[in-house]
Amino acid sequence: MAFINYGSREIQLKIVYYGPGLCGKTTNLQIIHEMISPQSKGDLTSLATAQDRTLFFDFMPLVADVIAGFKTRFQMYTVPGQVMYNMTRRLVLRGADGVVFVADSQWPKMEENVESFANLEENVRLQGDSLDTLPYVLQYNKRDLNDVAPRNYLEFLLNNRAERQLSFESTATRGEGVFETLNAVARLVLDRFITTHTGRERQPRELVLV
Amino acid sequence: MAYTLTPQHVDKLHRILDDLLVQSEAEGCLVCDQAGHVLDHAGLATQSPQLLSALGAGVFAATGELARLLGEGEFSIVLHEGNRKSILMCAVSEEALITVIFSDSASVGIVKLYAPTAAASVRGVLEEAREAGIYAESETAAFVLSDSDAVFKLAEPAAVPS
Repeated sequence: MAFINYGSREIQLKIVYYGPGLCGKTTNLQIIHEMISPQSKGDLTSLATAQDRTLFFDFMPLVADVIAGFKTRFQMYTVPGQVMYNMTRRLVLRGADGVVFVADSQWPKMEENVESFANLEENVRLQGDSLDTLPYVLQYNKRDLNDVAPRNYLEFLLNNRAERQLSFESTATRGEGVFETLNAVARLVLDRFITTHTGRERQPRELVLV
Repeated sequence: MAYTLTPQHVDKLHRILDDLLVQSEAEGCLVCDQAGHVLDHAGLATQSPQLLSALGAGVFAATGELARLLGEGEFSIVLHEGNRKSILMCAVSEEALITVIFSDSASVGIVKLYAPTAAASVRGVLEEAREAGIYAESETAAFVLSDSDAVFKLAEPAAVPS
């Protein structure tokens, strides 16, 4: 969850890219790292296998000036998508303030998309949170390929909870849809942060030490 | 667990870390939470605190799972020993850890001796911060979002020479 440091006037938020294996999570971070303004980014670090499959996570710090008087740091992570790495996904998901679920639009990948989304729901629940309250957006990736499901079908399959979430079509390898997704999830995370820290659900005053 | 640290909390944390550096002759140290957020750091001249924090939290969490696999509950200290530089990670609580970086001129034993003491002091500060709650500074700080739709912007295209 968010961390506020009034000493250094910094806010830290964590966003995790989630989805089935080879759906394009790492590509999203690579493209962001390539295309974002230099003053906003740190190094992209990948803990990957020799075959370039994510083994633990990818990590990239981003900085934005979006909250007056504070430097806002976003810690961007990806999880390993392969089914066997579920424990690793749980560890990386700890304390996430927002999630991007990246789906692979290709027809043969539908079952993996559904399994991965169910796995996300379960892992969020295990850390005491819920997709009803945790900000997340969906990204339907690989739209440039031939054998892809229509957007409506992906919506039916993955965006069918009581409250529908923002979703974006993308071709991450070409950078299409990547920044739209990033900005949408960042905005949702910031909105939730503002609501939580200045909103209606204030804790009782007797617990406050000023 | 979300932390809100006031300048007073940060001062206390910083004093603890500074003392640890002096006592253990370590090069640098940092406190981070399980999400990989940097709570405070001292003495890190060249290393990125954000990256150290992300990797340290990941390693410590993975080691914790190994401990549970062995029925150990947790490994309270994790040591990675190199030829010239080493890293020691010590649990502050279930939610935070302290990472100490030291060179071969410092003694592993001394670092191992002082790190848990520093961790206990850090734990006290974080408990204090938790009791203060997430609105500890809200009377003096209002969070105002900028109007811009784009939180992040694309890099400016390189100027084409005329």
